[in-house]
Amino acid sequence: MAEDFEVEFIEREDRKARFLVRGMTPAVANGIRRAMVADVPTFSVDTVRFVENSSVMFDEMIGLRLGLVPLTTPLDDFEEGDVVTLALDVEGPATAYSGDIESSDELVQPAELNVPIIELKEGQRLQLEADAVLGSGKAHAKHQGGVAVGYRHLHRVEVVGDANEFEEQEPNILRGVIEEAAAEHAADESAEDGALVPTSEFDNDLTKRYPGKDVEVHDVPGAFVFHVETDGSFTVEELVRRAVESISDRAAELEEKVAI
Amino acid sequence: MSYKCSRCKRDVELDEYGGVRCPYCGHRVLLKERAPTVKEVPVE
Amino acid sequence: MELRVIDKTDEELRLEIAGEDHTFMNVIKGALLETSGVAAATYDVNPEQSGGQTDPILSVKTEPGTDPLDALADASRRVQDLSTNFTSAFEAAL
Repeated sequence: MAEDFEVEFIEREDRKARFLVRGMTPAVANGIRRAMVADVPTFSVDTVRFVENSSVMFDEMIGLRLGLVPLTTPLDDFEEGDVVTLALDVEGPATAYSGDIESSDELVQPAELNVPIIELKEGQRLQLEADAVLGSGKAHAKHQGGVAVGYRHLHRVEVVGDANEFEEQEPNILRGVIEEAAAEHAADESAEDGALVPTSEFDNDLTKRYPGKDVEVHDVPGAFVFHVETDGSFTVEELVRRAVESISDRAAELEEKVAI
Repeated sequence: MSYKCSRCKRDVELDEYGGVRCPYCGHRVLLKERAPTVKEVPVE
Repeated sequence: MELRVIDKTDEELRLEIAGEDHTFMNVIKGALLETSGVAAATYDVNPEQSGGQTDPILSVKTEPGTDPLDALADASRRVQDLSTNFTSAFEAAL
């Protein structure tokens, strides 16, 4: 009944990926995007107990900075509301980094070790204990696992004619990914029809890809190029999987409640 | 109330009726120390 | 997710779904519109700017012979199938 999807990766790293999905409606694409941003929970510092803070910043400011430090979140082992205790003790002269944070659980660690928290001068000391809570981005942006999550339509560029020879060609900027449809006109010798080409390969300028040609850009219906970046709490795959799962779970809950 | 004299750096117990003055050196500038308790702060 | 039926006739349903936002409502609306027997479907998160009301209200109209609650169950099923399909396509691409 439901349509079949086709997924193809264009770029893939642990924390950053670009992939193309075909056969998707805008409603579903946006649902997944929103779920990635606001519904997949991550650990983040929620309460801080200051034992000593002789630094130049107020407790609240340091608390805020700690809250923004991404923490690794293995979602299989925790559920929303779970608490992990962290500790930090740094004496000046030194800079307190996120890497100095010690965790009571080896699964929950700072995802980034070189986030400066505060610079301490001679005689200053920061000693604290903090509770990290697993919460969702809906409650507070510090719990967002997906940063820079978005999608664009896949573009199809058609060559419709030659550009005016005697005129300097204006740059024709396009960002995203194109589906090669006019390989014979492309500046790149190895171009092949149907290939997926990120526009960054030709400086996002279509006049560099198809020199001396007039082009028309069309969106490919139902084809979305997702760009997903995580803060390091988990991998891109985990984020996408969990986002889809959260939508599916809600649909299941609705189906169950409607049946009564 | 515990304070610290800004000149002689000694701890001073401030007496309401004695006026604001360090009993050791007579200096009139006293600094309030941070309470030695653990302070809990919610992160928002 | 808490459901409150506001209006229900043979071919019409108005349902408040507490605790949800555009993320899920737009997906379920999209699925409803693709479900057979559904004449119209929409949702409103702030009906008539009613002071403070922010829980979305889903409205479904069906063609004769289709119960809107059945249509909603079908659409929910559809969203789950779609999620399963997407996940397997996604894992296959890894």
